[in-house]
Amino acid sequence: MDDVKSAAKSMPYRPARPTTEAAAESAESGEMARLLTHEDLDRAADRWQVARARGAGRRAKMGGRLRVLWLLVGPGVLVFLGENDAPSMLSYSADGARYGVGFFLPFVVLTFLMGFIVQEMTVRLGAVTHRGHAELIFDRFGRFWGFFAMADLILGNFLTLVTEFIGVRAGLGFFGIRPVVAVGSGLLIVMAAIATGRYWTWERITLGLAIFNGLFIPAALLAHPAWHEVGRAMVTWNPLPAGNRYEILVLMLATIGATVTPWMLFFQQSAVVDKGMQPRDVAAGRFDTVLGACLAAVFAMATILATAPLFHHGIDATRFQAAEFAQALEPWIGHAGAAMFALGIFEAGIVAAIAISTSSAYAFGEVFQTGHSLNRPLREAWGFYFILLGSACTAAALVLIPRAPLEFIVLTVNVIAVLAMPPALVFLLLLVNDHEVMGDQVNGRWANVAGVAVTVLLVCAGMGFGLATVFPKMLGG
Amino acid sequence: MKPTEANFEASGELAAMAAGASRPDLRDPQVVLSLLEADQVVAAKRRTRFGRRDFSFGMRALLWGLRIYVVVMLVMVLVSVVRALHGAP
Repeated sequence: MDDVKSAAKSMPYRPARPTTEAAAESAESGEMARLLTHEDLDRAADRWQVARARGAGRRAKMGGRLRVLWLLVGPGVLVFLGENDAPSMLSYSADGARYGVGFFLPFVVLTFLMGFIVQEMTVRLGAVTHRGHAELIFDRFGRFWGFFAMADLILGNFLTLVTEFIGVRAGLGFFGIRPVVAVGSGLLIVMAAIATGRYWTWERITLGLAIFNGLFIPAALLAHPAWHEVGRAMVTWNPLPAGNRYEILVLMLATIGATVTPWMLFFQQSAVVDKGMQPRDVAAGRFDTVLGACLAAVFAMATILATAPLFHHGIDATRFQAAEFAQALEPWIGHAGAAMFALGIFEAGIVAAIAISTSSAYAFGEVFQTGHSLNRPLREAWGFYFILLGSACTAAALVLIPRAPLEFIVLTVNVIAVLAMPPALVFLLLLVNDHEVMGDQVNGRWANVAGVAVTVLLVCAGMGFGLATVFPKMLGG
Repeated sequence: MKPTEANFEASGELAAMAAGASRPDLRDPQVVLSLLEADQVVAAKRRTRFGRRDFSFGMRALLWGLRIYVVVMLVMVLVSVVRALHGAP
């Protein structure tokens, strides 16, 4: 490994250009053959599977195409189900418990649409450049702006990671499991996912866990929602939330922050790169992102529906935490429903803890130019695995400290995510509009209009929050 | 270069697939290189950089504006949380 590093460093830098040329046909193929790493071999094995499925797809249309999609689906589903994390589910639960079936159902769909618009850009960036988001920002905009972007990411990621372990603790706490055991189990699952030293296996294990986000659907069905009210809310966005307008604004911001956050940009682009996706996979990557957004939106809406009985029965859910929602729901959705709700919160915490700690590790490796791939064994990327496990262990330990200000973190984490998003989106838009970086995959006009609209909307929402904080009477709060 | 079926053929993926039986021989570097793109190989990425891009005055002003926005908003979050934790309306 050190040979590769020193040999590569001794060569003069040359400008990178997006290319679809096979490495075997490049002028430096002889040199490259000498410097191949474990990571290259694993990635080549994955690419061979895709090539074989594509070849079969030409002969046996449907089955082959499904196989190609099965192989290429992953980062998009993971990023959206990962973002349906403990604080997000808490936000959706608060939407349903405090305002019932109404405005927040279609609002959630809108936030996922915003999420898709920005995440699709990271698929193209990763597939075309084969570089992570942090690496590109440092490369293209320099260390000064790069470190600002990293500061936002690291702060947001760490606070979010703490809330994931709060979710893990609360979810298992419903079943009477002690906090130390619950948090320890969470850490063991994070370790098990990365133990194979293979991106593909890590991705499939995490996807397998993420599917349990669907537990909120049976919980919602047990709440027996009035489907005509659901239909009316989806069409008319009514009834609008009533009451303290400042609280409504904060909840709207938290709901946006449950879907559109900086770690998602960094994670999906790095995962696309680690998966070895190429420009010809962009359509499949887009499908992956749509699938993830749709699944996550359905599960988020199910959470609102599951907690709506609390609104109808006048239960004050203002100060509820994750497990308290499950306990409060038990009289209306039964013990089985409440147990599924609690397990859903546990799952949401675990999957997000895996994804977010990996996102931090990718960014660290990209910035400091050390090994940063789940295809690398520990000895070749110890810094990457140290950050991944170190951030997870620190967050888990914080959750176990008696009287730690956990409520402070839960209250703020999604709001901070929204506030940190506009600068991250500006960097994203600059990169996807850069011809030298993107080649023919540069953003089109409508993608830019949508991207700028999302950025302006987030800035306006943040400024509304700021004004309402300074002048509470402005909103009648 | 736009990804097309022609690029796909040219990339060597199909050739590698056809050459291999049930599994490719990844001990052969040429097989590995035929499956990856030129700028996808780790060693190739280490020696290439896109290079620094200069910002216009307007872009620098926008980025600084957003940086100030984030700092001010974080202070607002702190204020609102302190209020919430002390039960203020």
